[in-house]
Amino acid sequence: MQQVVAGLASGSIYASLALALVLIHRATGVINFAQGEMATLSTYVAWSLMTNHGWSYWPAFVATLAISFLGGAVVHQGIIRPNEKGSVLRVVIVTIGLLLFINGLIILIWGGEIRAMESPFPTRTIEIAGVAISIQDIGTIGVVLATVVALWLLFQYTKIGLAMRAAAVNPTEARLVGVRVTWMLTFGWGLAAVLGAVAGMLAAPSLFLDPNLMAALLIYAFASAVLGGIDSPIGAVVGGLILGVGLNLIGTYVDFVGADLRLPVALAVILIVLLVKPSGIFGRSEVRRV
Amino acid sequence: MSKKIALALFALVLTLALGATAALAGVGRTAADPGVSDREIVIGATTPLSGPFSSVSSVTIGASAYFKHVSANGGVNGRKITFKYLDDQYDPAKTVQLTRQLVEQEKVFAIFNTIGTEHNLAIRDYLNASKVPQVFAASGSTTLGRDAAQYPSAIGFQPSYQAEGWVYGKYLARTRPGAKVAVLFQDDDYGKDLLGGLKRGLQRSKVKVVAAEPYSATSADVQSQVAKLKASGADTFAIFAVGKFAIQAYVYANKFGWRPKLVINNIVSSASNVMAIASEGGTNKVVPASISGVFLKDPTDPKWRNDAGVKLYRQILKRYAPGANANDPYHMYGMAAAYTFVEALKKTGKTPTREALVKAVASLNITKNPFMIPGIFIKTGPNDRFPIEQMLLQRWQKNSWRSFGGLWGYRSA
Amino acid sequence: MRLGRAAAPIIAFVVLGVVVAVVPSFVSAFRAQQLAYVGIYLVALIGLNVLTGYTGQISLGHGAFMAVGGYTTAILMSDHGVKDVWTIPLAALVAGVGGFLFGIPALRLSGLYLALATFAIAVSMPAVIKRFESFTGGGSGINLFGTPELTASLTPVTILGQELVFNDWLYYLSWTVALIGYVIAWLLLRGRTGRAFRAVRDSETAAQSSGVSLPRYKTLAFGVSAAYAGAAGSLFAIATTFVNPDTFPIALSILLLVGVVVGGLGSLVGLIAGAVFIQFLPIWSQEISQSPGAPSVVSGLVLIALMFVLPMGVAGLVGRLRLLTRRGYHRADSQAD
Repeated sequence: MQQVVAGLASGSIYASLALALVLIHRATGVINFAQGEMATLSTYVAWSLMTNHGWSYWPAFVATLAISFLGGAVVHQGIIRPNEKGSVLRVVIVTIGLLLFINGLIILIWGGEIRAMESPFPTRTIEIAGVAISIQDIGTIGVVLATVVALWLLFQYTKIGLAMRAAAVNPTEARLVGVRVTWMLTFGWGLAAVLGAVAGMLAAPSLFLDPNLMAALLIYAFASAVLGGIDSPIGAVVGGLILGVGLNLIGTYVDFVGADLRLPVALAVILIVLLVKPSGIFGRSEVRRV
Repeated sequence: MSKKIALALFALVLTLALGATAALAGVGRTAADPGVSDREIVIGATTPLSGPFSSVSSVTIGASAYFKHVSANGGVNGRKITFKYLDDQYDPAKTVQLTRQLVEQEKVFAIFNTIGTEHNLAIRDYLNASKVPQVFAASGSTTLGRDAAQYPSAIGFQPSYQAEGWVYGKYLARTRPGAKVAVLFQDDDYGKDLLGGLKRGLQRSKVKVVAAEPYSATSADVQSQVAKLKASGADTFAIFAVGKFAIQAYVYANKFGWRPKLVINNIVSSASNVMAIASEGGTNKVVPASISGVFLKDPTDPKWRNDAGVKLYRQILKRYAPGANANDPYHMYGMAAAYTFVEALKKTGKTPTREALVKAVASLNITKNPFMIPGIFIKTGPNDRFPIEQMLLQRWQKNSWRSFGGLWGYRSA
Repeated sequence: MRLGRAAAPIIAFVVLGVVVAVVPSFVSAFRAQQLAYVGIYLVALIGLNVLTGYTGQISLGHGAFMAVGGYTTAILMSDHGVKDVWTIPLAALVAGVGGFLFGIPALRLSGLYLALATFAIAVSMPAVIKRFESFTGGGSGINLFGTPELTASLTPVTILGQELVFNDWLYYLSWTVALIGYVIAWLLLRGRTGRAFRAVRDSETAAQSSGVSLPRYKTLAFGVSAAYAGAAGSLFAIATTFVNPDTFPIALSILLLVGVVVGGLGSLVGLIAGAVFIQFLPIWSQEISQSPGAPSVVSGLVLIALMFVLPMGVAGLVGRLRLLTRRGYHRADSQAD
């Protein structure tokens, strides 16, 4: 049972990064390989504000979100947009280049050692029926769910959300009705960067801050997003939680698997799910018009 | 112009360009051994400057700073020491390629302090066949010292992991009979050596290893392993894990409400800043029960605040590695190894040869390495290829390590 | 006219062959070894080009197929005493079968999902290797240096009257495999298979409606590209004389894709340039700065810059040069073969 709870906790962290990936894909149709590194960079910025400049948590948090938004927008305008007209591969390569660049930059500026990160939630643990649950984990799950709700509201009920969806699904027609497609994409990247920053700041207190904080999580986040449906925020969360719990249970109860094979087995399971339902649990099937 | 002819011309141009660069890349030195000239000695290493293990490259930075310091102060027998290091991203395949580059293109005198166990083992045969000394490899793998007969010019530096585990085992056997030990270990040579050593130290004792959980360095976290270890009912927790995972081990043990009576942390991850982070601002109840081994002076230990060796260390870093974080103990490791190399080099006489270096390295007797704990000496001999075979035990008390008891010595098998 | 069109590529290819044969006499032995690795990456890129350039499927997992080939070679050499050269086709076969088998379930995935699936293979491979330790030597890997099955690692080998040291031997071995591999690919792609591949790339629906069997050609493309990666992996193991799970990291898979894109899909010039890029980028990045993290920063910047400056890769640049020098009608699609 402890494993399940632990799994929910790690799963919610996967989910938070998965949300950023989903948003980018939903808003712009690409997968950003550098999403994790951008999130790590944001977290370092927050850390630096708090440690080197003495800011307290919430001001640093807000400032970091703002900086991340700007960062994401600048990346899109400066680096991604010129390559959008080319093949998907070009964008993939550019995001890989961005990954290398940011990862190196973090090491260059702050060095590779591990650091502790403050958490917005108290680190107490409570015990329910013999299972230890930390308040921080509850808080993380809460934030993730709140984010999902916020995103849903954004997409369903606001003008900007509608415009973003239009821009992603059919840019040409969207332009015809007056949607400023490029700005929507830029907005999408900025928002995804904000989500990434939130993910980083949720993960860092328990996983500790080092340059590889998010890199290790990226594959889990991808898997969660794909499992849940790459365009569905709810799917990202559900996918993440299932993945987190599943990994722990498989690792504990299936002996063949042991420590090493947990991730491969989980990925295999996901792939099988995809074969059965290619768009993931909550995804919508793509209809290709001939 | 057909595309294929353009292709051939391109290849030709490329070839000539590469050939020209090769020709300009340097003429061989006119000296007894490669890497030695009248004014300088060139040595090389590979280290992870990028990628997930880049924090370990601080070892190389520390060593490099020390060599610059020595070179600025006259060098060894009038020769300055040029230390060339290359980024292998912790990938042994790159280690092999780059080491070959150092030997065949940069023509180094010796390979010094290359980082990583598998990495050193991957290049050992090649260096042995090319008769290039592989000195003070940055790895605690036991095979480095044990296989001296087959690899006479390869030697490690730090206490071997097996020996370290053995010390912990003997300590437990002596002080806590009836204890039940649960072990978290990394599933590679480093973790397995520590575990193996622990078990050997516990032979014929009343202490048992009741659970051992491996984790892979590519895992995201070790929550489920720690949960399993707690469920085993053990009262002693051995953490044979690196940095981030060691911290997680403490944190999760605390979170799950496990209160082992004794926690053994291993040398590689018992740096004070790691312990400080694991303490979670003092709220972690598992950390205070920790002991560990040590052989270097930890720059953050208040005990050494006014120590001449640590002061020298800080000065050297400040001057020759500006921007390096002096509280990172990996730098100390590199400096200690560099110091040892310089002492060995001094013994090779007016014109150093590789053979002389190997002889010097096989007959070390250094008692005053300023970066190591006093009393621990560096000694090698015809039947002993383990330079450091002593360590102290230390206990974590009130936010710092305090050593206790006497030096533990061991014969590395 | 037809004969003339076929003659020019063949002549150029022969010229290339001569150049390749002659290069080691002009460069240092160490440089020859570096060029050997270029040849190795070229083998892998030729295969990846078939998959990505011709059928349009993106793979982030070809490092794993290299691992399969590399380990096949290492195990055959160390446990079964097979001489290194003979393991190469076997490694290619094993990897090819693996790729083909992977291609079957992968049929249902496309684009992003396929990329993830291949990424999953690459990430899982080190773990799987470690799990079957008794077979693969686990984390400690398999060491081949100095074993009798490995040619020339200790003493030079004599071929055709020439004495070759290890570095030169590796160079000739890998480039011979690369050139043979290129010819095979060229033959494969000239005919019906190539047209079918391109049809799949351009429009799966259209291809299907013209009777191109998607399953057959997509899995074939996977199998073929995996076989090339396997051969490359085999050569890689031979050249590095050591394999362990970390010698085929995820970075390798990513670099292979980068190489194919930077080089430019579809042309041999591009592929050679891509292989050169993969081999030398880490080395050049370090020469700029050695502060921890700096080489990565440089590599990243170079990649991003290249996509701006050479969006179609090096092959695109060569294509544009051709456009400039040629008068009259000329197919603007520099990727057409």
